[in-house]
Amino acid sequence: MSASERNIWEKIADQLRSRSMWMLHYCTGCGAIELPPSMTSRFDMERFGMGPMATPRQADLFLITGYLSTKTLRRVIKTYEQMPDPKYVIGFGSCTLNGGIYFDSYATINRLDYYIPVDLYIAGCMPRPEAVIEAFNTLMEMIRKGEANGWKRYKENYEWYKKNQLRSLGEVDIHDEFHE
Amino acid sequence: MTSSMNNALEKVKNAIKNVKIIEIDEREAKIEVESENTLPVLSILKGEGYFHLSLLTAVDWMEKNEFELIYILYSWNDGGKFIVSTKIDREKAEFVTVMHMWPVARFYERELHEFFGIKFAGNNDMKPLFLENWDDIPPLRKDFDPLEYSKKKFPEREYQKDIIHEAKIIRGDING
Ligand code: SF4
Repeated sequence: MSASERNIWEKIADQLRSRSMWMLHYCTGCGAIELPPSMTSRFDMERFGMGPMATPRQADLFLITGYLSTKTLRRVIKTYEQMPDPKYVIGFGSCTLNGGIYFDSYATINRLDYYIPVDLYIAGCMPRPEAVIEAFNTLMEMIRKGEANGWKRYKENYEWYKKNQLRSLGEVDIHDEFHE
Repeated sequence: MTSSMNNALEKVKNAIKNVKIIEIDEREAKIEVESENTLPVLSILKGEGYFHLSLLTAVDWMEKNEFELIYILYSWNDGGKFIVSTKIDREKAEFVTVMHMWPVARFYERELHEFFGIKFAGNNDMKPLFLENWDDIPPLRKDFDPLEYSKKKFPEREYQKDIIHEAKIIRGDING
């Protein structure tokens, strides 16, 4: 079955999925500061059925909120792979899009979708809560239409993603006192 | 300068010849010393109440082939600050540790080793502190080119050029 074809059960499931999104926000960069106002009473994203989630295994949505150093990217990939399908990724801010102001840094990557599939980007440095809410709405719409299938792309193009990860990181495994 | 800073400076001048003192501010002065006199100066200042090592860092003076090591000492009694600076050879980037005076220096020295390639005799803990799998010359040396490295390792997004759009901007049909 190709990525865009869904059977009736999947279509029903997608309706439900889009209405209960648990979000793991990996606050890598400054853009994350726009999340508290998006969550709290003024913009109140819980009215969409969204909420923050603490662990990757319970989360549907992975929010990468800014610049990623190679060190962080290793953890991000590890976290992404721990999330169960279906899973969605939002790249937040220009740093995830094209490196932003860190485009020439020796330690930060320049585009996130080269390493893990990104369903949606929010442009801006940093995006305002309105943009964040707009992006969540768009993502929900995409899920209902079956367009948010980065998780399928990741499986289908696993070798390509792995190759890119290895090229920039040398190795994806993490060696530090917490993972040995 | 505050009187306690003056007292400390007197002590330094009496004990060690060849120090250059630059007054920066009411509560801030820079002391430039030869590398062999650095530790004595630091320990005199530490004895005079400037016992907080706020920072140990380095500056790469590539043209002069030198690294400048900078120790910033702070006094909690009068808020005075001394910047002790010394030059070491860039080719043979080695100095002695100050871990016996400030245990925290271990991490500053690890950082300097990682980012400038400076070794510190007496500090055997030279594991990388921040970088993982680093595979080039230390990244804060001036002869390291971060843009080149980034291009090599982290591919960029390619944008398609819209020539018609650009031509319209040039012609003034639309504002770019
Ligand atoms: S895009 Fe801007 S706000 Fe977001 S992480 Fe990068 S520098 Fe910070």
